[in-house]
Amino acid sequence: MTDTILEVQNLKKHYNQNGGLFSAFKGKENVIPAVDDVSFYIKEKETMGLVGETGCGKTTIGRTLLKLIPATSGKIIFNGTDITHLSAAQFRPFRKKIQMIFQDLDAALNPKMRIKAILQEALTVHCRLSDAEIDHRISELLEMVNLKKSKLSNFPNELSGGEKRRVGIARTLAVGARFIVADEPTSALDVSIQAQVVNLLRDLQKELRLSYLFISHDLRVVELVSHKVAVMYLGQIVEMGLAGRIANAPRHPYTAVLWSSLVDKKSDESIKNEGNPNEGQWGVFDFERPNVGCRFAPRCPVYHAKNRPTICTDPATSPQLQKIDDAHQVRCHFPL
Amino acid sequence: MIGVPVLKIENLRTYFYSSSKQAFSRAVDGVNLALEKGETLGIVGESGSGKSVTALSVMGLVTAEPGVITGNIGLKTDGVQKNLLQDIEDYVKITNENGRTVEVSKDNPGWQRHIDRVLRGVRGKEISMIFQNPKLSMNPFSSVGKQIKEAIMLNTSINNAQEARERTLYWLEQVKIDSPRLRYDNNPYGLSGGMCQRAMIAMALSSEPSVLIADEPTTGLDATIQSKIVSLLEELKSSVGVTTLLISHDIDVIKTLSDRVSVMYGGRVLESGPSKEILSAAHNDKHPYTAALLASIPTARQIKAKSYLQAIKGDVLDTINLPSGCLFYARCHQVTEQIKMQCKHQEPELREISSNHNVRCWRFFNA
Repeated sequence: MTDTILEVQNLKKHYNQNGGLFSAFKGKENVIPAVDDVSFYIKEKETMGLVGETGCGKTTIGRTLLKLIPATSGKIIFNGTDITHLSAAQFRPFRKKIQMIFQDLDAALNPKMRIKAILQEALTVHCRLSDAEIDHRISELLEMVNLKKSKLSNFPNELSGGEKRRVGIARTLAVGARFIVADEPTSALDVSIQAQVVNLLRDLQKELRLSYLFISHDLRVVELVSHKVAVMYLGQIVEMGLAGRIANAPRHPYTAVLWSSLVDKKSDESIKNEGNPNEGQWGVFDFERPNVGCRFAPRCPVYHAKNRPTICTDPATSPQLQKIDDAHQVRCHFPL
Repeated sequence: MIGVPVLKIENLRTYFYSSSKQAFSRAVDGVNLALEKGETLGIVGESGSGKSVTALSVMGLVTAEPGVITGNIGLKTDGVQKNLLQDIEDYVKITNENGRTVEVSKDNPGWQRHIDRVLRGVRGKEISMIFQNPKLSMNPFSSVGKQIKEAIMLNTSINNAQEARERTLYWLEQVKIDSPRLRYDNNPYGLSGGMCQRAMIAMALSSEPSVLIADEPTTGLDATIQSKIVSLLEELKSSVGVTTLLISHDIDVIKTLSDRVSVMYGGRVLESGPSKEILSAAHNDKHPYTAALLASIPTARQIKAKSYLQAIKGDVLDTINLPSGCLFYARCHQVTEQIKMQCKHQEPELREISSNHNVRCWRFFNA
């Protein structure tokens, strides 16, 4: 029952930044390690949450898994098959199984197609179906995602945010996906609609035995829906473990900073001076900062409290993802 | 703080015409709000409830037809009282049938010219606004500092470029942008989302407005940056003491920042009162909609138990076909047999249930 559906080994995605027309003369190529040595696995019927600030590589992981962008190195194993180097034609049967709910549905749904055509296209692109079958399948899908039938003749811009989200979900289910990358499925939704979408995703998981990679920066939602959570910082996973453990007993300083920054928690505990001394250091890759040692060190409260030990910034001793407990891994020299 | 409110919105109506449906979308339908000096008034509600349109109407930025059709927006600054919707009746002709608006004819170009005249010296100067998307609201071809300097030279008494530059740096410092001198020359795309939002806040505050309208200042930012922007706004509230109209669908943000809250739904205010009373789960006397909104936020207990969230059934109100009774009736789960008929057919008024706490619900009037 609990088979591993997706396994990722040492996945890397590096973007080269060419400095324009005369970059060849500069001699130096800038490489942005958007995803750097990421490994994890997801079991059937399991949800893995992926959190982190903007620009840490969450969405890049999702896109690489779907082979929307090629991985630089590493392995992606889906259901026992290595799909990393498959050609587009070879990958086609897997496309049905791995799907993505896109973040920006205004961009992901064709504004000139009616909802029915959008769903129909998803169905017919992978299999030949008669019109009657298509109608039957579409009404099944609508029922699954609680969408009114009258909306089929509408254009995407006539739907509300929650409805668009549901069309996005229905489209991934249309082809019979087993594994869904949900990229920020609840961002830009109201709390009331967010609750509906979250409940829907969980219902579908139970009914259809789906697995999710749930990418979000809303920590509470992630904690609620996920079985396990991976925290990312600048392309690396810094902590991974069971959702409750990550949220309530974080071991990596970054996770602690992240969770303590929840607005309501903060007002409750009235922490004015959160452990984040370097306000200017954003979680975005920066060429001016050398990429050595622990990447979080410049912002790390522990690093500053311990009087900047060299072990943190020395490239030879950059921290590795270590098992500190059953199913709990941390990338830190001084776990909390 | 008793006195004449700085900003008073009365019976504001902003409609849009949908040509495909041949009907009006009543985006804002009779909103009353009052903002007193130094306080922060939060407006909460789902998307499509008319929060942003209310703000845009105040600023005279609604360009779609027919736009603002009735209302009174009183702005009182330095003892001068001004109605921002002055002479609106001259431009709008409303035809009513059975108490419902069926036709509106508005001389829109004439109204635009008129409102530009009325709002000259108000827009940006007396009332300034922080927009939802900082990167889209700033000019991508001009540096952040230049844009703020421009605002200062336009809207304040400073007209010396050097002085304005110093003032810009002062405001950039106030919003805690690190090394303001460096950031002065950055273009908006060179800044991260959080920093861009800070620059936007600096620009809005630089003209030292009487009223600041913050439209979703934290949506689209990461949790860590969001909490920093919130604490920045909190600090500015005490140090600068600006009167703020804060619009957000994030209840936590509203709870932290605002003194009073108005809950909007379908273009109307359903509830207004002190934020402590309305947004605390412990307080029971509140509108069913507010209660449902609060219940749909994941709580610590729900997360622990991995239980289901209490979603509000149904979707956001369709503002084209407004129901005849209570707007929230179709989604309300607190309707009792006793008041059912009233809820369905008659819209309740906004009435006071305790001091300064108004609710638009039949449940509170029948006792």
